[in-house]
Amino acid sequence: MTKRPDSIEVEGHVVECLRSAMFTVELENGHKVLAHISGKIRKNYIKILPQDRVLVELTPYDLTRGRIVFRYRN
Amino acid sequence: MDTKPFTPHPNGRTMQIARVADGIWHALEDDLVVGRGHGVHRPDGRLFVSIDAWHSTAFDRLAEAMLAALPAPLYTLIDEADVELASGWRQLGFTVRRREWEFAVPTDPLVTGLEIEAAPPPPGITIVPAGEADESLLRALDHTVRAEVGAGAGWQSMPAEVRPRPEGDTIVDPSRYAVAAAPDRYLGMVRLVTATRQPRIGLIAVRADSQRRGIARALLAHVLGTLDRRRIATASAEVDESNAAALALFEGIGSRRTGSSLELAR
Repeated sequence: MTKRPDSIEVEGHVVECLRSAMFTVELENGHKVLAHISGKIRKNYIKILPQDRVLVELTPYDLTRGRIVFRYRN
Repeated sequence: MDTKPFTPHPNGRTMQIARVADGIWHALEDDLVVGRGHGVHRPDGRLFVSIDAWHSTAFDRLAEAMLAALPAPLYTLIDEADVELASGWRQLGFTVRRREWEFAVPTDPLVTGLEIEAAPPPPGITIVPAGEADESLLRALDHTVRAEVGAGAGWQSMPAEVRPRPEGDTIVDPSRYAVAAAPDRYLGMVRLVTATRQPRIGLIAVRADSQRRGIARALLAHVLGTLDRRRIATASAEVDESNAAALALFEGIGSRRTGSSLELAR
């Protein structure tokens, strides 16, 4: 049996900070997703700003939504 | 791996909660990870938890497993604008312990009113730029300020990141600190973090016996002036809502509130 991957992770950059702690992230393939910050990032006081390069985990239910799980150093 | 029995889920699938490592839980739905929970101890010993779940059922199941396994008190940190997440934690009995305002701090002296002439250090005090501070005097100031906080307002009112470390010394990188210096000792310090695109004022502190003399304002004028000369228009800072003096200082120079974080506890 093939083990399914834990999650789908893709790189992108933050386009816009929205209300309700959400962000618009443009992925490397040009698609835009709505993402929030993971609890781990928030616990570590990492701030996300427009233009930040980030790693987004996409939800298996809806590939237009995700959560930011890592912010790269620009 | 510690697992809990399958739980019926409204969408007809089954969900399993598994403790996959120390402090890490997964919510699995048909072998797919639909939620993760983490518990980690901060340097001050407090246990912070977080849950990232793709739907409320996964959040609830993860919370149930984590709260049963972890000792109280538990803490979590959320963005106040994240109404759904805040509601989830509140329903579990978490209440607000502290609120921290996030500020966008302008650097332009024409906006801040912090031209050097307008915010000079008090007589006899000089501002030592970052990278030039004497390390032993800086560490002595750090110890003094932290002892004063411990004896006064207490560390529970401070951001977790500035709380004492087990080894007692919190000066990780001396080159990040500018200080206000008297002839025989340092009286105040400001730490600027520039590793990210938007610099962040991570700490500004003045010894208790030297407060209300304009030292914090002079330190702020110095560090913001440095950024302005590098053509960086904005820095960020966080201030506890109970710290009236710091709120007045930042708002008095035109800083704009951009958001708030809540520390919740149960």
